[in-house]
This record gives sequence, C-alpha cells and structure tokens, in this order.
Amino acid sequence: MRTTLLLLTLLLLPFSTALAQAPPEPGDRLIGVWEPSHGKARVKIEKIGGKYYGKIVWLREPNDPATGAPKVDKNNPDESQRTAPLRGYRLLKDFTYGGNDEWSEGTIYDPENGSTYSCIITMKDANTLDIRGFIGVKALGRTDVWKRLQTK
Amino acid sequence: MQLRHLLLSALMLPALSWAQPDTIPAADEEDYSQYDDLGFADDKARRYCSQKILDQSPTRFISVLWDAQGPYTMRFSQRGSWAEDADPPTAEEGTATYTGGLRMQANIPVVSRNSIIWQVGANYWDTRYAIRDRSEQPGSAGLMRALADRGLRTMGLNTTLFKPLNETQFLIVQASADLSGDYFLDDPQGLQYLRGSAAVLWGKRPNDRKQWGVGMSRTYRVGAMNYIPVVMYNYTAANRKWGTEILFPARAHYRRTFSARSLLLTGYELEGQSYRIQALSTDDKSFEVRRGELRLRAEYQRQLKGFLWLSVQAGYRHDWSFDADELPEGREFFRGFFGEQPFAMLNQLGGALYGQVGIHLVSP
Repeated sequence: MRTTLLLLTLLLLPFSTALAQAPPEPGDRLIGVWEPSHGKARVKIEKIGGKYYGKIVWLREPNDPATGAPKVDKNNPDESQRTAPLRGYRLLKDFTYGGNDEWSEGTIYDPENGSTYSCIITMKDANTLDIRGFIGVKALGRTDVWKRLQTK
Repeated sequence: MQLRHLLLSALMLPALSWAQPDTIPAADEEDYSQYDDLGFADDKARRYCSQKILDQSPTRFISVLWDAQGPYTMRFSQRGSWAEDADPPTAEEGTATYTGGLRMQANIPVVSRNSIIWQVGANYWDTRYAIRDRSEQPGSAGLMRALADRGLRTMGLNTTLFKPLNETQFLIVQASADLSGDYFLDDPQGLQYLRGSAAVLWGKRPNDRKQWGVGMSRTYRVGAMNYIPVVMYNYTAANRKWGTEILFPARAHYRRTFSARSLLLTGYELEGQSYRIQALSTDDKSFEVRRGELRLRAEYQRQLKGFLWLSVQAGYRHDWSFDADELPEGREFFRGFFGEQPFAMLNQLGGALYGQVGIHLVSP
C-alpha cells in the first residue's frame, strides 16, 4: 500500500508542477500567429525560456520560382546559413516583455536583404502589433503593422 | 527490479520537463499545413500595398556625397534681352577646371505605417568653381567672376507622402522648397526667393516585382520652372538579376542586381535649380541662372557594413541650360517649352566627365 502511494505521488508530481506554472503572464498575449503587412508570410510567435521568438510558418510563395525548390535564406550574411529553409526560420529573437504593451530587447531579421535590426514590438490592440525595426535610435526606423490570424 | 525502474523513471520525469534549452532549438518539424487556412482575427483588418518592390535600391536616411566635374569650356553672352534662338555677342569666356562640392541629404520617416508613410527631408548642396583663362569683354555681366568668387548653393526641405489606397493602388504626393543662389550660409538670401516644386502621382503595384504610376509635377529639374507629366515604372525581372527604376523624365535607370548587398544602376538623371546671383540682382529684379544638367551615368552601390552603404558614380554631364532670367521682384514666371519670354543671358557650357562618391545610412 505504501509503495503504491509513493508511486502515485511521484507520478503526479510533474503534473502538479505544470499546474503550478499554469497562469499565463501578461507578455504571453504576444503568442500567436501574425501576418506582416506585405502578406507574403505568416509568423508564429512563441515563448522559449522566458523570451519571445517568432518563426515563419507560412509563405505565400514557398518555392523559389527560379529553382522550384523550397525557398532558403540565400541573403544571409553568414554563408553557412544560406541553405537554411525560410519556412521555420526564426526572424524575431530575444524579446522580453517590459510592461505597457511593449516587448523590447529583441531583433528582427529581414530575409529580403539579410539585415538584422533592433526592434520593439508594441501591441496596439489584441489583434494588432506595431513592429518597429530601427538602426541605433528609434527615429531611424520603419514600422510595420502585423495582424493576428486565427482559424477561419 | 521493475519497481526500481518505474521509480527512477517517475523521478526523472519532472527533471525532464524542467529542462530549458541553453540555445534556441532549430525550427522543429511541425505540420505547417495547419497555417494554410487562417484569416484575420479582426474583421476590419485590411492589407495595403508596400512602397517598394523587390530588390529596389535601398532608401537612404542620411547621405553625404562629394561631386566633382572635370574641365569644360564656359561661354556667357552679354546681359540683355534675348530670344531663345538669338545669337548674342559673347562677353565672358573661360575654362572651368573644377566644379563640385559637398552634398548632404537626410530623409526621416515621421509616420511609417502600413496605411501611410510620411517622410520629411532636408538637403544642402555646395558647388564651387575654379575657372582659368577667364576673359571679359565690354558688356560683360560678371557672372563668371561671381561663380568663381562665391560658387552656388542650394538648401531646402522636402516632404513625401505615400498613401496606399488598397492592396494594389497608391498615391504619392511630394513637395519641396529650395533656396538656391550664390549666398553663403552665414548670409543666406531672403525667403522670398524660395522656389517650390511638387508632384502628385497615382500608381499600381500589381505584384512584388512591378510598380507603375502616372502623375504631374512642377519642377526645376531643367533649370526654369516647368509643369510636366511624370511616369513611374519600377520593375524587377523574375530571375531577380535585373530591373528598372524609372521616374520619367527626372531619371531612368537600368538596375543590375549582384546580390542583396550590391547593385549597379545605369541611366540618366536631370538635375537643376534656379540660382539667384546676388551681385547681379537688385531689389526689383532677381537675376537667376537656370541651371539644368543631364547626367548620363553609372552608379555602383554596395553595403559597407550593416546599414552603411557606399555609392560610386561616374558619367557625362551635358549642359541642358545655364541661361539666365531677370524676375521682376523675384516673382517666378512660367515659360515652359513654348513660352517666348526673353532671356537675360544665353550661356553655353561644354560637356564634362564627372564623378561622385557617397556614404549612406539606409533604411530598414
């Protein structure tokens, strides 16, 4: 009987731990699938190790018209990354939530030119993000508006 | 034995669930088809067309350039009242051995959103002249001396509004005000001599590789003020190795794309302004040189590091106009292509080879 109780306790321990972690944090509102303004891609934002990351999960044109093969990150300044598939590529990295509907300290990568910019994400409403990529100071930047997607 | 294994497994399970990646894991293999059938969570959300097409040369935030022209001949007429096809006596002659100077430009987005982009910019161009073998005949206005002593400058403000109307159509409104003359920065000329340019253009962007538009402009690109239609045609070929960047008649370029970090433009640009010459002006007459240049050129652009780009340009400068007008109390008038208002001077410049090098901070 004691052995059975011990076993039950040990088996339930991970689930009780998971339940203890359950309440979502305010920054988790960022999690979801979003569409940048150009509509050519969809980006899934998820939380890994306390930070927020976004990866491309859909491409309007998944294959390179020149080769017919899946598009790769051919403009990456790091030559070893130029064969990495674009679908699945993490272009938003290292964002932390600092309150006031703002996620900062992160970067955004533009596969069109292989450049990485400093970036701040601001949630304008539950379904709208302002993604501001900038160079050094926020004034030298460009804002793109992303819209939340959901299953039709 | 089985019980011991079971206990060990149970003890390890939470440890596994607590494990956090030291580095971000590579994109996992997931079923991406689940993202095919999604729609906007907000029913009112709209898509708008972008300002640029694929592989277009980068937009510049801040530019610092040096421009220099090689030797060419200068021949200026007597000051008077001359019809465009007149053959007035030559009053000044010389050879410009150097024409050039510093150019600085800034273009900062004030509002940058999907539904509207509004930029404000400023520019300053300095042109100095070194002229040898100068000769002046009786009746000379002294324009060559003024150019050699003071040079020409232009500084101004400009603003550009890009307004996408939907996923394929857009409007561009652009306006600028420039102060051009032989003034120095510590003694600029009066704001009554500001000259305004503007353009309005409607266009379509049917796909990521093509953008075209038509519109009207008020421009000083050929020296004197003129109203002319404009046509935009930006295109990138399917193989993404070449394209066009055209805003006719201001400029037209063929683009050869080597990579996302280097490209070559070949084509032409019209440059011009109406420059007030202080020494030849009075309170009731503004003497203005209508300087217009056609520059046939090739420009190589490449990324230096991060967002710093280098441009190197070389070409041939053809004199479109260096004639002069007298504007009563500085008031501008419209001659256009067919007007018969007389010129105050009819001047000729020989063609010249030129070069330009610039450093640019480019936009994301």
